[in-house]
Amino acid sequence: MASSATVELSRWQFAITAIFHMTFPALTVGLSILLAVVYTAYLRTRNPLYLQMFRFWRKIFAVGFGLGVVAGTVMTFEFGLNWGSYAHAVGPILGVTIGMEVITAFFLEAGFIGIMLYGEGRVRPRTMAFASWMVAFGTLLSTTWILSANSWMQDPAGYTEVAGQFQARDWWQVLLNPAFSYRFPHMLLAVLISAAWFVGGIAAWYLVRQRSLAFARRTLSLTLGVLAVLMPVQLYAGDETAVFMGQHQPAKLEAFEGNWKTDNNGYNLVVVPNPGRGKDDLRIGIPHLGAVIGKDLTGQAHVPGLLQTPPDQRPNMWSAFYGFRAMYFTALTMFAMAFAGLVLRLRGRLFTARRFHRLMVWMTPAGLVAISGGWITAETGRQPWVVYGQIRTSDAVSHLSTAEAALSLAGFVTVYAVLVAVWIRYIVRTVRAGPEAVDSPSADRPVLPEAVHG
Amino acid sequence: MAEYASYALVLFALGAYVALDGYDLGIGILGLFDRSDERRKEYTELVATAWDANESWIILAAVILWAALPGVYATVLPGVYLPLVVMLLAFVLRGLGLEMQSSAADYRRGWGRLFGISSLVVTLCQGLVVGTVLSGLPQHGGVFEGGALRWLTPYSVLCALGVTALYLLAGAAWLQAKTQGSARRRAARLGRPLLALTVAACLVLGFGLEVADPQYFRFDQSLRAVLFGLLVAAAAVCGALAWYGFGKEPDARPFVAVLCAQVAGLLALVTATAPVVVPPDLSVHAAASPTGSQVFLLIGVGCCMPVVLAYNIYAWWVFRGKYRPPAPAALAVPAEPVATRADLTDSQASAAESGVGTLARRVGFTVLGLGVVAVAQDVFGGQGEWIAPVSLILFSSVSLTAWLVGDRRAAAAGEFDLDQAARR
Repeated sequence: MASSATVELSRWQFAITAIFHMTFPALTVGLSILLAVVYTAYLRTRNPLYLQMFRFWRKIFAVGFGLGVVAGTVMTFEFGLNWGSYAHAVGPILGVTIGMEVITAFFLEAGFIGIMLYGEGRVRPRTMAFASWMVAFGTLLSTTWILSANSWMQDPAGYTEVAGQFQARDWWQVLLNPAFSYRFPHMLLAVLISAAWFVGGIAAWYLVRQRSLAFARRTLSLTLGVLAVLMPVQLYAGDETAVFMGQHQPAKLEAFEGNWKTDNNGYNLVVVPNPGRGKDDLRIGIPHLGAVIGKDLTGQAHVPGLLQTPPDQRPNMWSAFYGFRAMYFTALTMFAMAFAGLVLRLRGRLFTARRFHRLMVWMTPAGLVAISGGWITAETGRQPWVVYGQIRTSDAVSHLSTAEAALSLAGFVTVYAVLVAVWIRYIVRTVRAGPEAVDSPSADRPVLPEAVHG
Repeated sequence: MAEYASYALVLFALGAYVALDGYDLGIGILGLFDRSDERRKEYTELVATAWDANESWIILAAVILWAALPGVYATVLPGVYLPLVVMLLAFVLRGLGLEMQSSAADYRRGWGRLFGISSLVVTLCQGLVVGTVLSGLPQHGGVFEGGALRWLTPYSVLCALGVTALYLLAGAAWLQAKTQGSARRRAARLGRPLLALTVAACLVLGFGLEVADPQYFRFDQSLRAVLFGLLVAAAAVCGALAWYGFGKEPDARPFVAVLCAQVAGLLALVTATAPVVVPPDLSVHAAASPTGSQVFLLIGVGCCMPVVLAYNIYAWWVFRGKYRPPAPAALAVPAEPVATRADLTDSQASAAESGVGTLARRVGFTVLGLGVVAVAQDVFGGQGEWIAPVSLILFSSVSLTAWLVGDRRAAAAGEFDLDQAARR
């Protein structure tokens, strides 16, 4: 068996590549829907504003999608590279699920994205709209399959085990496993919301700078509309998911609530866990709130603690607790901002509230932070299992030397750090350059030099 | 039976990958040796329209391998760990170079070089992987059990060079088919030397396999020997056609011929090794997953494949013929006038209001917001399961209505008009 160092290195490698990959779909799923919607709007109204929006967001989408594809290719291979024993055991189930993702979703996206990005002038506008919808549909399908696969690892169902290998007994139960029905809506809302903040934050920046106003107002109005509808629903979906996880993976809930003994009816804001002594060295919380969130309005109920779980099955409280807090506090901020946007709209001040626009710019990466936090909770909270209750992570790795695992980890960290820097610089430059100017045959040219550049 | 069908599916995806991504990797490497920025920009644009779809085939090959032959997946991937990791890193950098190049208005040398070098690295790594697999990987029960440098053999190095020659050839053939003028002439001139190089590589690798081969081919079986001979002959005929076609109309002939030669070559290799997938002894049967999984996968993929092929061919058809730069129409409507600071202060003048009213309003909205959060967290779930869903549907409907009505009002007020957006 591989050494524990190899296991640790492989875990870090998977975590880094997975979070890195996740940030791209988190934007491109929502962006692809936005693109399809605005192109359809252009088709129906022939208003050049929509074409301007389409072309601008397409620039960001194109690079994000490309990087998402290559980062996703890495993930596909990584299951076998570092986790050969896991791959061999679950291949007959998860290999099939991900195979279906590739054949239905990947190819759909890849087949039509060429037309969507380079087809203008070659195909009819109607075909462009169709291609955009197909790309959007592909990204949604992809989200569905991948959530099904991951949810099966969280709460496996519909399988039998034969000689260390898992076999499907009932494919419906495998694909539509219980965890999937909670986690899929939660994640779908999450990617739509994170794209909406990203787009809305950039639109607000133009309003702060008083540039490309029609573009900025149209975009901001659209994203805040979506957010005001979806944010409260997402809070509810998230709560339902947490309750479900509390029942099916009690250790995860115990870890992300940050309690050791089951004697706390408060809600922890900050904890410094001490796994060796089985208690928190520091705990700051709001009394009674934990019980209230657990549906006990009298405030008497106690939040379950991690000591209920045997020591060899406990996840790391640090990552689960702070991952969850990063997600949850960001979500509350997002809700507050979306609600403020709704109020401003009702009062007719959405496009003039300068302070609100400045805050919106800060919200640009909010969705990505929340999604990363959520996944850190979901994945580290499942430990020490890779398939919950069935395969331990330490038994899942390939026959690798520590040097190999260390080298590849160093390679990924270096390349991905460069990639993040380039990607952020590209977004900043594209946003600074601004949307393509709309040509006017008669009127005098606008004065702002950077707004003229396409 | 199912495992052979799955193996065929893997081979189909792998063949499609070599045929499609082979040419765009080749173009990437050829770009390194071209001095004209204009031509290099053209090469990148040619690749940019198709690389997503081309690269999807290797992902498909990998996951079908995982699902249908997990024994092969769990043996090969750890067995060629370092070359594969380097290949993946090069894939990432290649995508980066390509996308950044394609999104820039003019040619950027740095991105171009990154694209070219990473294409070369991807190609070399793929050659190393193929060479290593052909010269055998030790495994037990479908899980790899060898050392970290198993992939570094004389045969695998030769194989890396051979694959490079093959991809360069495919790239040149594709360029002759898709470009005009000096780019086409260059590609046509390069074609024959590259073909000669590829043939030489095939001969060396073919005879070298006799030495490196840990499996001892069973060419004493007459069916196998005959099939193998026929396929090699077919590949040779296709090679001859490609030789004849370089520099001549129709421009697509060399690429088609190279494509057919690749297919024949792959099939010949499979004929020689089957039923062993990974020499020396990992066979299709031993590596296969349970029949149920394979049947599900075969039905699923089989049903989707015609559709996938149809729209891939459609996408290919949209960009058929010689490359021409895209020419989207410019946006045409009166330009946006610039907002002056005076306009701004104007629109903000109404912001000043009485203190008490503002405070009351803010407190009211804060309480309302907290109430919605409490409901969304299902705090009242103990009192009634219906409270949260019903209130949320109500709240979201109000939001939706406010959005639609507000949008309509803003549009009527001219907020979204391109020409008067700043006037108000």
